[in-house]
Amino acid sequence: MNKPVKIRTTNLCFSYYNHPVLQDVTLQFFENSLTAIVGPSGVGKSTFLMTLNRLWEEIPGARMKGRIEIKFNGSFHDIYARSYSLPQLRRAVGMVFQVPNPLPMSIFKNIALPLKLAGIRDRSLISYKVEQALKRAYLWEEVKDRLTDSALKLSGGQQQRLCIARALILEPEVLLVDEPTSSLDGKAASVIEELLLSLREHCTILAVSHYWDQVKRIADVVVELSNSHHQSNIYHHQKPQPV
Amino acid sequence: MNRLGEKLLIAFSWISGITLVSVVFFIVGHLIFKGIRAINLKLIFGETRPLDALLLRKQVFHGLFPAMMGTFLLVVLSVGLAAPVGLASGIYLAEYAQGKVRKIVNFFFDILATIPSIVIGLTGFSVAVFLHQHYSKQIYPCLLISSLSLSFLVLPYIIRSTQVSLESLPLNTRLTALALGGTRVQNILYVLVPQSLSGILSGLILAIGRCAEDTAVIMLTGVVATAGLPRSVLAPYEALPFYIYYISSEYSSPEELLTGYGASIILLIICMTLFLFAFIVKRRIIWQTFYHL
Repeated sequence: MNKPVKIRTTNLCFSYYNHPVLQDVTLQFFENSLTAIVGPSGVGKSTFLMTLNRLWEEIPGARMKGRIEIKFNGSFHDIYARSYSLPQLRRAVGMVFQVPNPLPMSIFKNIALPLKLAGIRDRSLISYKVEQALKRAYLWEEVKDRLTDSALKLSGGQQQRLCIARALILEPEVLLVDEPTSSLDGKAASVIEELLLSLREHCTILAVSHYWDQVKRIADVVVELSNSHHQSNIYHHQKPQPV
Repeated sequence: MNRLGEKLLIAFSWISGITLVSVVFFIVGHLIFKGIRAINLKLIFGETRPLDALLLRKQVFHGLFPAMMGTFLLVVLSVGLAAPVGLASGIYLAEYAQGKVRKIVNFFFDILATIPSIVIGLTGFSVAVFLHQHYSKQIYPCLLISSLSLSFLVLPYIIRSTQVSLESLPLNTRLTALALGGTRVQNILYVLVPQSLSGILSGLILAIGRCAEDTAVIMLTGVVATAGLPRSVLAPYEALPFYIYYISSEYSSPEELLTGYGASIILLIICMTLFLFAFIVKRRIIWQTFYHL
């Protein structure tokens, strides 16, 4: 693959309560590509995603060693550097969880939450961005007439697209997606897959997946994690560009 | 567990539920049955015209109006003092305290929660006496001392309910705002606390009820049988539970005892009104933060 590198991890080790999860993981991810991370349960796929936005720091008992650099504005930054702003990192590296996690508030407020957290108060700008994010997540047509309804009234697939829209509203450069379709039926899943493919031109996507057929459909690069003798083994599968 | 055990457990649960409901009906029904005859404007306002009393133009003698106002002010002041401290402590315990500090704070908290109200009353009284002797001769047991003592009495309810409802939020909810670039304080203010309002509210309701019914603390810290409306927070005051207490122990005629029942119903109504108010405020906050465009 001849796209430029966006993320590189060096000698990444991770443990929960001294139980090793990731050992010595050194990887690269490329700009504007979708990398699928596959492997058996418990091998640390979700954990790996959480090292890229430092979300694991909120989980008790977790420890990490190693180095992660992400390229922002043309140069690589060590995201664990003391001077690096955590909220800023998490705005640039969006995340979508395995189970859709809309908050029990209106659809509009859910999508606008990241803007509120970023301190944006301009109401017309917020409305505009909410509409754009919903359109990019293929949800606008379905919810435009009921933006003040509770987000919990949406179906599972709609909730997951809402979460994607919420992650997209800050225009992240990296999007981490943790088994986005595992709680959805086939039709809702294919909408999400199509959506992820369309997002590739805006950001670098890392998606954990369990389904090989899904991986074959959407991934540019596949990284397989496996765990043997407390050693993380990594297999790269390069895939020809999908036509 | 075998089938019989399961059936017995179900029966026991039903009996418990039915007992709860019937006890509430019995107490409230008994009160209304006995006391409803006593409730009239004369019971509340005595010989004074209601409008004059409400506009504070004339004093009320031989009526419950001063005691109602006393109880109302007492509850509002005590809960008003305890709520911010309790909320902040609950948030601290749930979100910030860790390791040893957390254990120590929890330990002191448990001690506070087990102090009997009469001891808190005695402490309040001692403080009033100390201030009278060493600070100003103007200070006696009064509304402010009572409110402060009561706020310590109800602080544990508010702290614990805040802490528990925050801690019981699922990890998923806790991580949402953080993953979207929120700081810890933002997460607490915009997501965690609004999500826990129902639990926090139940603690507030317990606190309101406790402040409204307590006699031990106020008896030692400033309540008197006749004071009229309190002139300031540094003045003695009347309160409904104290009125009920002394009427039922010193009544001289059946009619007088009846006013005790009337006062109980009024106390119940005041509590209900405050609960309802707290509930409406909660609904309002949730709507404002979560649904209002």
